[in-house]
Amino acid sequence: MDPFSAEGELLNIHNAFHQGQYSTVLEVDTSRFSNKNALPARILTLRARISLGQAEDVITELEGEGDVPDLKVVKALAEYAIGNKGEAVQVAEALAETSPDNATVQVVGGTILQAEGKSEEAIALLGKHQGNLEAVALIVQIHLQQNRTDLALKEVLAAKRWAQDSLLINIAESWVGLRVGGEKYQQAFYVFEELAQTPSSSAPKSIIGQAVAELHLGRLPETEAALRQALERDPKNPEAIANTIVFLIASGRDATEHISLLKTTSPEHPFLLDLQEKDATFDKAAAKYTAKVA
Amino acid sequence: MGTLIDRFEEHDGPVRGIDFHKTQPLFVSGGDDYKIKVWSYQTRRCLFTLNGHLDYVRTVVFHHELPWIVSSSDDQTIRIWNWQNRSLICTMTGHNHYTMCAQFHPKEDLIVSASLDQSVRVWDISGLRKKHSAPTSMTFEDQMARSNPNQADMFGNTDAVVKFVLEGHDRGVNWVAFHPTLPLIVSAGDDRLVKLWRMSDTKAWEVDTCRGHFQNASACLFHPHQDLILSVGEDKTIRVWDLNKRTSVQSFKRENDRFWVIAAHPEINLFAAGHDNGVMVFKLERERPASAVHQSQLFFINKEKHVRSYDFQKNLESPSMLSLKKLGSPWVPPRTLSYNPAERAILVTSPADSGIYELISLPRDASGAVEPTDMKRGQGNSAIFVARNRFAVFNQAIQQIDIKDLSNSTTKTIKPPPGTVDIYFGGTGCLLLITPTSVILYDIQQKKNIAELAINGVKYVVWSNDGLYAALLSKHNVMIVTKALEQVSTLHETIRIKSATWDDAGVLLYSTLNHIKYTLLNGDNGIVRTLDQTVYLVRVKARSVYCLDRAAKPKVLTIDPTEYRFKLALVKRNYEEMLQIIKTSSLVGQSIISYLQKKGYPEIALQFVQDPQTRFELAIECGNLDVAVDMAKQLDRPRLWARLGTEALAQGNHLTVEMAYQKLRSFDKLSFLYLATGDQEKLARMAKIAEHRGDFTARFQNSLYLGDIEDRIQMFKEVDQYPLAYLTAKSNGLTEECEAILEASGLTEDQLSIPSMGTPLRPPKPIVPTFQSNWPVKSTSHSFFEKALLDQVEGLSPEDGIDPASNGLGVEEPTDGAGGKHNGHLEEEDEEAAGWDMGDDMNVEADNDFVNVESAETGSGSSEAELWARNSPLAADHVAGGSFDTAMQLLNRQVGAVNFGPLKPRFLEIYQASKTYLPASDGLPPLVNYVRRTVDETDSRKILPIIPKDLESIASGDLQAGYSAMRQNNLEEGVKIFKRILHTLLVNAVSTNHEFEEAKKIVSTATEYIIAMSIELERRRLADDPSNLKRVLELSAYFTIPKLEPAHRQLALVSAMNLAFKNKNLASALSFAGRILANGGPPKMLENARKLKAICERSPHDAIDIEFDQFAEFDICAASHTPIYRGSQVETCPYTGAMYHAKYKGTVCTVCGVTEIGAPASGFRLLSA
Repeated sequence: MDPFSAEGELLNIHNAFHQGQYSTVLEVDTSRFSNKNALPARILTLRARISLGQAEDVITELEGEGDVPDLKVVKALAEYAIGNKGEAVQVAEALAETSPDNATVQVVGGTILQAEGKSEEAIALLGKHQGNLEAVALIVQIHLQQNRTDLALKEVLAAKRWAQDSLLINIAESWVGLRVGGEKYQQAFYVFEELAQTPSSSAPKSIIGQAVAELHLGRLPETEAALRQALERDPKNPEAIANTIVFLIASGRDATEHISLLKTTSPEHPFLLDLQEKDATFDKAAAKYTAKVA
Repeated sequence: MGTLIDRFEEHDGPVRGIDFHKTQPLFVSGGDDYKIKVWSYQTRRCLFTLNGHLDYVRTVVFHHELPWIVSSSDDQTIRIWNWQNRSLICTMTGHNHYTMCAQFHPKEDLIVSASLDQSVRVWDISGLRKKHSAPTSMTFEDQMARSNPNQADMFGNTDAVVKFVLEGHDRGVNWVAFHPTLPLIVSAGDDRLVKLWRMSDTKAWEVDTCRGHFQNASACLFHPHQDLILSVGEDKTIRVWDLNKRTSVQSFKRENDRFWVIAAHPEINLFAAGHDNGVMVFKLERERPASAVHQSQLFFINKEKHVRSYDFQKNLESPSMLSLKKLGSPWVPPRTLSYNPAERAILVTSPADSGIYELISLPRDASGAVEPTDMKRGQGNSAIFVARNRFAVFNQAIQQIDIKDLSNSTTKTIKPPPGTVDIYFGGTGCLLLITPTSVILYDIQQKKNIAELAINGVKYVVWSNDGLYAALLSKHNVMIVTKALEQVSTLHETIRIKSATWDDAGVLLYSTLNHIKYTLLNGDNGIVRTLDQTVYLVRVKARSVYCLDRAAKPKVLTIDPTEYRFKLALVKRNYEEMLQIIKTSSLVGQSIISYLQKKGYPEIALQFVQDPQTRFELAIECGNLDVAVDMAKQLDRPRLWARLGTEALAQGNHLTVEMAYQKLRSFDKLSFLYLATGDQEKLARMAKIAEHRGDFTARFQNSLYLGDIEDRIQMFKEVDQYPLAYLTAKSNGLTEECEAILEASGLTEDQLSIPSMGTPLRPPKPIVPTFQSNWPVKSTSHSFFEKALLDQVEGLSPEDGIDPASNGLGVEEPTDGAGGKHNGHLEEEDEEAAGWDMGDDMNVEADNDFVNVESAETGSGSSEAELWARNSPLAADHVAGGSFDTAMQLLNRQVGAVNFGPLKPRFLEIYQASKTYLPASDGLPPLVNYVRRTVDETDSRKILPIIPKDLESIASGDLQAGYSAMRQNNLEEGVKIFKRILHTLLVNAVSTNHEFEEAKKIVSTATEYIIAMSIELERRRLADDPSNLKRVLELSAYFTIPKLEPAHRQLALVSAMNLAFKNKNLASALSFAGRILANGGPPKMLENARKLKAICERSPHDAIDIEFDQFAEFDICAASHTPIYRGSQVETCPYTGAMYHAKYKGTVCTVCGVTEIGAPASGFRLLSA
């Protein structure tokens, strides 16, 4: 049985993690969990801590923790998070060889591989999953990053057949929906809005999702309200800032302040890297043209 | 048949009762969840739920006219609900055990109910109806009742009172029903009995009991229109009882499933019985009336078992001739009828008593339903006449066919092949023997099989009138065979085939459950008409189809036989007939056209079509270029011209090809065509056009075709290809030209090393002026049909006939612009080019480039950003997609943009707004999504990106800011704002033509303001130095030229007037004052102007002579700020339209700062489609 299914005791902690409620994950009392579920719960807690920026603590905690592949791969993720990328990728690749059937190795290892741009390997590893929704979600995301909306959609539809109401599938479907557009925008919006506006599941991650869906629907005032809400909850959330910049520019307003904010909080954000690259592209392209008479 | 339409799954637990509303699209259900639900079967939703019962709901039934539902429940009550206001209006108590069933009386205000308390009760609900009908004059009691709704009256009763209690069952009663017309009630109970009750106004009593069920009887009902009772029970049987005799008529037993419920269809002769595992739908009797046709007479047996005849010619039904009441059992209708004209006798079979037949002679004239006197009978399943004095009887049980004479004695016995199920007439002296898998033609004389055909499940055989063909009908197939049993054609129907009959011309008409269709011998078939009830065809003659309906009444249906007669004529190549049909009927339909096309008669189909598009397709298909040209002109679409060009080329009709290419503006192809046809004159014109278009490749091509070396050299020089120009000149021995080139590039001959060259190539010289007329054109074959149409039908419909005028092609008698100009005068080159519609050419060009973009980016997994670039020819969309390179190419081509620096903020602005970042899986970068302005679009070929700062925001924001900068004399800022407006608009997108016009207006406004403000700024810069006085005065005068808003123009005029006045340039000041007064404005300003004007008028002279002629019309050069007088050479900015002196050509426009002045450009573009 899928330990994350509705009956499992891991359901809440699992959902909290995927809704981006990392502090909620840490608050869950895992001591009462059955032996079988203790390890997955711990993994989720550790991953939540990494997401909260406590990667170094996680590494310290995991130092000398035997040969459990689950923990090794989480440690690799922590290493990756603090910048020891080469090492982390090596560990992930090794684990993908030795224990490819371990669900944690699949998901976390797949994450590391994809983050390193090794999409093919990540998909190969994740493809071995046995009804693991998290793996499905990752596959969907990877397909989307490769701009293969068709494959992503197929993956989601296949998963929906055996996991209709799962939160993760709903979220993954919304990701695809934001690519497909049209009516799907509205459906994605409903999913994010429900998550974002229900107090028990609200987190900046879902509020941003809501804001993004609003923006795609062309509803600018609502977008602004949602983004403000997200920034109030987490003023340094890079995605919240990046999307605020997009929103401001799209509505013809000045975004200098937020751009510099993003530069200080997360200088590696794809928005900035992309912008930098395009800046250079422009200059290069523009240089090809000159007036006949100077 | 029998398809599941939908499931309605909202009840919790079993659903026990259900009823459709008679008129509304509603049904009601009740179940073990104590709930009654009302549903709409249109929206397939539950409309509402009626709550109130405290135990299982057993039955629910709609009232036939009032908005009421009656329900019975295990809570021992019967309740009446109003489904319009969704309320409980009455609760009837009295039964002291589960009430199993309750029904409304079909006419009166009565309810009958059955209960496990062993009683059946009849309730009077007239009080309830009174209370709920519209208020009339109310009696005191009524008012009392009204004021105490749902409360018991003084006797403790509610609005419904028990009228009769019927006791007789000695176990619980499961079901009860009213008779539809008679005062009868039937009930079924656990005592295994079905009881019949009768009631009068005052009392009710038991009439009789139907005994037979050997387990609990669960439901029963009266046959809707026959004197029968049907009941079902847990003994797994359905039983049919005679209402009058209360005897069992028929029974049906299922192996394993107990029956629980039975229902009758209100109109169709169908019943449904629900059992443990499903529902079975059945009918009690065969509905196909037995009939036989002889010449113009139909003999049939009606529902009363009377034999009647019907005359097709007189459309007259005879009175009954015979009554066959005694034939078989009373409830079993006869199956077949066979007629012997020689003896005027009929053979009738009935399935009763495992098959009987009767041979009866018909009376000479019909004189009422008399019992037959002279009749012979015997055992047999089928009986048919096979000769004047012989008939065959088939007995399935013993598998034997007896040939008998008219005295019913057997003359011959035949053993049919095993498994034979039926026999039919097989032509003289023959029989058709039907087995489940084959049909056998059997010769009675020789006692042997003549032919055998493998075909499954044949049920009926219908012979054509001439006896040459027979149609074998099975459930879903029709096979046409010859009389020797050779297969001619076969067809399949998904809907059950009911009957068939032959047209005199050899067309088979057959009926399905809901259509009459036809089939030709070759298998072509189609629908003749739809049917609203099932009929059995007996005969077709001209426009009439004769048939028997299920009530065994002869009917005549009118049909339109045109379609199949036309097809038949086509198959038989009977063109006269076709012509006749075309002339007399309106046979224009898609089906006939596609039929003709499919069958390879496009030239005939052409005659039927009005729609130009279809006409074009057909004309191309049959190679009728004349029609195709006409249609292409009418439609004028590039795709059509392209196809026409291809077809014409294949036919060698190069004049048409030329026209098509001209329409398509395929310059290259056109040039090549002229080369091929040797039309040097037009080739030369193509070269000029190429030059005019600035298309160097085309020019090169044309000069090659023409052998025009000078032009080629000239062209190379123009594109700075001096080495190529030199080589061309050199190889053609143009020494002078060589030297000139060398001189121009500052080289001498010895500095060059030139490869050895052969003799230059020359294009061949045309010898025969082929271009003057077409090559021998493929002769368009005129079929007989077309000729007939041309000769005889001219004027029938002018559009359809081939217009003789169009035989001469449009090129010779030019009717359209391009062709006309082309053959017209050579000298007017500019106009010539105009004939080619240069503006559009440029668009074509731009589109071509756009296509290049597309081909460069293929392969799967391209991001949406890349799609944007593919989907749009607008720079803005390419920018949003991050394709800066192509965006710049587009801008360069459209408006001659060369200096992109000022556009950088705009580019990055658009790009930055194009993507959102969606946080997705933990630990991975966010998912990038692409923001669209086409929010509702999902077609990947139509989606387009969002472009920030749309036209509206510019018009309402930036433009106003610019105006206010002008008002506040903040000119430097103003110039910046207006330049920003220009840049924002240059890279933008609009959705309508109207918006585009508005955008262009804003561009020109911004341009005027920038020029004006720049002039004034220059004046201010120079004003401090007195040596510049003349220039200062001039500038202040020029400041008044640009077309500013009136208020702003006044500012410029006032400042110019004051300055001129101060410097004693009274003539100028006078003109400014005059213009101020003409424009109007604040009184104080006008007063001032008037005063100055008065002073100036005294001595209108200028102290300083400035270059400003107030009377001449001129524009201001945006670079030098000097006048450009009309007639002098002007260069413009391709984007803003700002004017410059010719010497500024090739520099960057000072107004927008982006474009190159005088650059070739296709034009500013904001609309994507």
